[in-house]
Amino acid sequence: MESGDAARPGSGRATGAPPPRLLLLPLLPLLLGRGLRVAAAASASSSGAAAEDSSAMEELATEKEAEESHRQDSVSLLTFILLLTLTILTIWLFKHRRVRFLHETGLAMIYGLIVGVILRYGTPATSGRDKSLSCTQEDRAFSTLLVNVSGKFFEYTLKGEISPGKINSVEQNDMLRKVTFDPEVFFNILLPPIIFHAGYSLKKRHFFRNLGSILAYAFLGTAVSCFIIGNLMYGVVKLMKIMGQLSDKFYYTDCLFFGAIISATDPVTVLAIFNELHADVDLYALLFGESVLNDAVAIVLSSSIVAYQPAGLNTHAFDAAAFFKSVGIFLGIFSGSFTMGAVTGVVTALVTKFTKLHCFPLLETALFFLMSWSTFLLAEACGFTGVVAVLFCGITQAHYTYNNLSVESRSRTKQLFEVLHFLAENFIFSYMGLALFTFQKHVFSPIFIIGAFVAIFLGRAAHIYPLSFFLNLGRRHKIGWNFQHMMMFSGLRGAMAFALAIRDTASYARQMMFTTTLLIVFFTVWIIGGGTTPMLSWLNIRVGVDPDQDPPPNNDSFQVLQGDGPDSARGNRTKQESAWIFRLWYSFDHNYLKPILTHSGPPLTTTLPAWCGLLARCLTSPQVYDNQEPLREEDSDFILTEGDLTLTYGDSTVTANGSSSSHTASTSLEGSRRTKSSSEEVLERDLGMGDQKVSSRGTRLVFPLEDNA
Amino acid sequence: MERQSRIMSEKDEYQFQHQGAVELLVFNFLLILTILTIWLFKNHRFRFLHETGGAMVYGLIMGLILRYATAPTDIESGTVYDCVKLTFSPSTLLVNITDQVYEYKYKREISQHNINPHQGNAILEKMTFDPEIFFNVLLPPIIFHAGYSLKKRHFFQNLGSILTYAFLGTAISCIVIGLIMYGFVKAMIHAGQLKNGDFHFTDCLFFGSLMSATDPVTVLAIFHELHVDLDLYTLLFGESVLNDAVAIVLTYSISIYSPKENPNAFDAAAFFQSVGNFLGIFAGSFAMGSAYAIITALLTKFTKLCEFPMLETGLFFLLSWSAFLSAEAAGLTGIVAVLFCGVTQAHYTYNNLSSDSKIRTKQLFEFMNFLAENVIFCYMGLALFTFQNHIFNAFFILGAFLAIFVARACNIYPLSFLLNLGRKQKIPWNFQHMMMFSGLRGAIAFALAIRNTESQPKQMMFTTTLLLVFFTVWVFGGGTTPMLTWLQIRVGVDLDENLKEDPSSQHQEANNLDKNTTKAESARLFRMWYGFDHKYLKPILTHSGPPLTTTLPEWCGPISRLLTSPQAYGEQLKDDDVECIVNQDELAIHYQEQASSPCSPPARLGLDQKASPQTPGKENIYEGDLGLGGYELKLEQTSGQSQLN
Repeated sequence: MESGDAARPGSGRATGAPPPRLLLLPLLPLLLGRGLRVAAAASASSSGAAAEDSSAMEELATEKEAEESHRQDSVSLLTFILLLTLTILTIWLFKHRRVRFLHETGLAMIYGLIVGVILRYGTPATSGRDKSLSCTQEDRAFSTLLVNVSGKFFEYTLKGEISPGKINSVEQNDMLRKVTFDPEVFFNILLPPIIFHAGYSLKKRHFFRNLGSILAYAFLGTAVSCFIIGNLMYGVVKLMKIMGQLSDKFYYTDCLFFGAIISATDPVTVLAIFNELHADVDLYALLFGESVLNDAVAIVLSSSIVAYQPAGLNTHAFDAAAFFKSVGIFLGIFSGSFTMGAVTGVVTALVTKFTKLHCFPLLETALFFLMSWSTFLLAEACGFTGVVAVLFCGITQAHYTYNNLSVESRSRTKQLFEVLHFLAENFIFSYMGLALFTFQKHVFSPIFIIGAFVAIFLGRAAHIYPLSFFLNLGRRHKIGWNFQHMMMFSGLRGAMAFALAIRDTASYARQMMFTTTLLIVFFTVWIIGGGTTPMLSWLNIRVGVDPDQDPPPNNDSFQVLQGDGPDSARGNRTKQESAWIFRLWYSFDHNYLKPILTHSGPPLTTTLPAWCGLLARCLTSPQVYDNQEPLREEDSDFILTEGDLTLTYGDSTVTANGSSSSHTASTSLEGSRRTKSSSEEVLERDLGMGDQKVSSRGTRLVFPLEDNA
Repeated sequence: MERQSRIMSEKDEYQFQHQGAVELLVFNFLLILTILTIWLFKNHRFRFLHETGGAMVYGLIMGLILRYATAPTDIESGTVYDCVKLTFSPSTLLVNITDQVYEYKYKREISQHNINPHQGNAILEKMTFDPEIFFNVLLPPIIFHAGYSLKKRHFFQNLGSILTYAFLGTAISCIVIGLIMYGFVKAMIHAGQLKNGDFHFTDCLFFGSLMSATDPVTVLAIFHELHVDLDLYTLLFGESVLNDAVAIVLTYSISIYSPKENPNAFDAAAFFQSVGNFLGIFAGSFAMGSAYAIITALLTKFTKLCEFPMLETGLFFLLSWSAFLSAEAAGLTGIVAVLFCGVTQAHYTYNNLSSDSKIRTKQLFEFMNFLAENVIFCYMGLALFTFQNHIFNAFFILGAFLAIFVARACNIYPLSFLLNLGRKQKIPWNFQHMMMFSGLRGAIAFALAIRNTESQPKQMMFTTTLLLVFFTVWVFGGGTTPMLTWLQIRVGVDLDENLKEDPSSQHQEANNLDKNTTKAESARLFRMWYGFDHKYLKPILTHSGPPLTTTLPEWCGPISRLLTSPQAYGEQLKDDDVECIVNQDELAIHYQEQASSPCSPPARLGLDQKASPQTPGKENIYEGDLGLGGYELKLEQTSGQSQLN
């Protein structure tokens, strides 16, 4: 009974739950949190002998312990930092030599693996035992405990609940335990910057153009993939049961949960290569948008599956009420987080619009950062999902606030989140490598793992091909077969799947899932990530597309997007193209939201009805009247350019002359701002010409400047 | 039933987590408010309240609200458990409560009298950070930023004076405060306000050392804004930065001073052990910090990492952080290591970074510094009301006020007198008064005081420190501008302005003259260091300086060729990029002002160009009439250019 209890899906969370102050002291668990037990064991053996005159000695010993543990924590953190340093240096070497088969994340994993092996087999296995105390005073657990030990009072804080089976198995290697983080660290510290950065750097124009498809892939696709993987895995589990390989319970909800966590795709590797090679922007936008929203959907989906608790006696039968409740939770959390993120984004936009904060970039950057972080906290405090809120906050910030920031703050915020994202991502991946060896409760089950591999490919196929077929019915600008294959191929799993899997490793089923997820991440990142470049050329996908470049005049058949410019013909075509609801949104955004929240767009006095003239006048910033030309309006498209610029910049600075090339880069930015109205178009070209494109990329960046100067 | 209770406990956890989010949210909210207020002030050019002061005000208000407007809920931990089986305090406790096993983590020891007032308000309890967070998370970026933005040229020019103020001055101030406070404590014992035996002389010294960490952010910010005389700025800034390092190590050494028998008697062995400890920790931290910075410099020199500014920034950040962690892991003081790491990074690594990374790293640490500083000051305001064990003792507080003034006077005036004997460029009276006046206490003093609030004396110290910080930041900080005018200290010395002005021919001789006087002026030791640095360290660690092949003796030719970067042969120009550190701050400000015109990248470019030709001249230090600072600067600039021509 007891063990069955532990395996029940609902009960697992408590074990993995964070210490109460975790959010308050975000970094503290990293620095101080672990390893107190070890020292305790040492002092237990030593001070047991002379219990007499020990009061002063003990005090000293406890202090020493604390110091010692602090030291060890520093060491374990140092290990990670040195790993990251090593990764950075190796990445540089790879980038320098243009080796593309291994991405930095893959590299971080390899280094993590190596260190994991060393820690596992290279350090002596000392065992730490806890003093187990059975005091039966109260019937509930308090958050703090005051214990009177021979006249001295000690304060203890609640760390977590331990399932009875594990008490004896805490005997472990100390070093291994030390490098194991509380899984909530991922959700509270490491993932938010990654996700925010993703939202903040969504290539806005292409993203909105493909919004319908992206939403379809993200929502429907994730649901389909989750369901299919869940069912397949259930079959596998049944098979294992028949073969007698399963030693513990594994319910259908567990399978669905596995489906949900493994549906979070994270093709960083592929995207980085796309970015570097300038693969087709539509494909990029589809993949990136899908993977970003995907994560959000997967998080909420997995938490609503966990929340699925049928009422009656048979807890694993289907219960319509509970099912609908889960669906309700999903919708509620998702829309709540969305609203929360969007609202704080809007508030930031308003604050930056109506104050002259842009005179002080430091203050502006700090405000931006704090507001974005508040989104996360607010969402967590209200019981929504912080990560999802942060994602939508990022998108809103990029769409509105970014336009209000000063030039300096724009680059500051971009760079700040870029660095945070980079560090966090590589940290997670190196931790993954480490976890394969340092995590203590791996359950390797070959059948399950093979089943999972098959399932994710089938799930991905069932997700991409049918949806693409349906989308192509509605899309004018079809998703080609090679794009579909590429999307199918890019079903990498990454940080999000890992974080979701490690969040709860209490029960047997969850441990098996965790191990499987880890292996899937390794496999996909190394093999699929490494195979991206060959795959691109094999599928004849065009590379070297410069999104800012003007399209050649002969390719005008695929012009899309909201043509609010002077070109009415293009406008018409756009209207036909995008769905009705999106058109509505575009015009609403352009006519009302942009003027209210930013300094751009048409003045509100012209778009709003006459009776709210006063309001309109006070909401419209004076700048709008001055520059009504579409010039400023497209500023937000810069987000799109900037990422690419830094990249090319990196390539072109081999001449060690940093400042001058940055100058050209930023001037071409200026230039591209002017050409904006014409660069709205997409170009379709022969797909095979990729390689030549790459070679000419460096120079092409400067073209707009020459055209317009 | 069991399931029900499980869900309940899950709910509890959930609650905890959200509580954490709420607390952080409160801080975020306060900071946002502070930022907006600062903006308002800066916009209207109010200078009497600095952002840190504003953060404290908001913290106070929030503390007041939390304290008196929230319903006092009982903390559930009021009861004490007696465990007979336990004979010591393990760091992890497994408690079996009705068949559920819970894991508890050791937090701290509580003295008896703290138990009862403890059950106050759960929210207040929640709003209290673990003090270690200051040392591990908040202070390192502040200190690193301080080291990284030390205005190098002026700093080295005044190095002797700064070191004297920082080391001797802090020691003097610590002892003076300790003695005065000991007198007050004795008087209080006489007056019956304090039990005998509570408050030892070491406690007084402890208070003295933590009170010696000056932190004139407010004053420095105003100086920066008004462009006050650079020498004064450097003296104050350098002193306050090194001061912190000294105070931290000193506090630590005093706290481990434990004589064998009578805790009040003087024990020579223990004393020398403490002194040895002080020296060991200080030297160790210094070495650790510099070593990491040198590694970074070598890495950035010999790899072409500057092609990827993001990687470079990441590496820079990670290695600076490693300096902190390694020092902590080795039992040294991480903050001191980080300080020297920052100084060394600015001196060497900065020259190797790409221009993009230079800006990025500056901005990154500036940003972190800003946030961390405001969080600390905000927390100070909050702590006045939310901290549960305040002991307000009017006597002690008055004594402390008196003591810090006397000690500051004993620190500045005699030392300045002694230094003036040796300095050619005297520290005038108005500078001395200004330094005396700028004895603000800030983040470090607070962090040191809050680190240990177990015993009654420590709690009293904490309360007093808090009040002192409030008073000095508001009153002195607000009084800086009037004081500057009253003391007739020259403002408006603009570094960049000088750079822009064009030189004429006669400066060459002036420059030579300057050089000579410099040599005569600075002590032999420092001259030696300059020579060594210029000839060997710079060429090894950066792309600048004379090629090693010329400076090293013949027999180590291959090594020197290996270590010298090809650039060193080509342009000696790059040599003085370091100056940019000085400029960039100011530049950022100019830049903002210009930012309204959309063409900022060219502006930045122009700056770079401006900065680079001036480089060769910068090794010279001049000492001139103090009043002529601006003029001097101009000279320097021109000399560089004329050499070029």
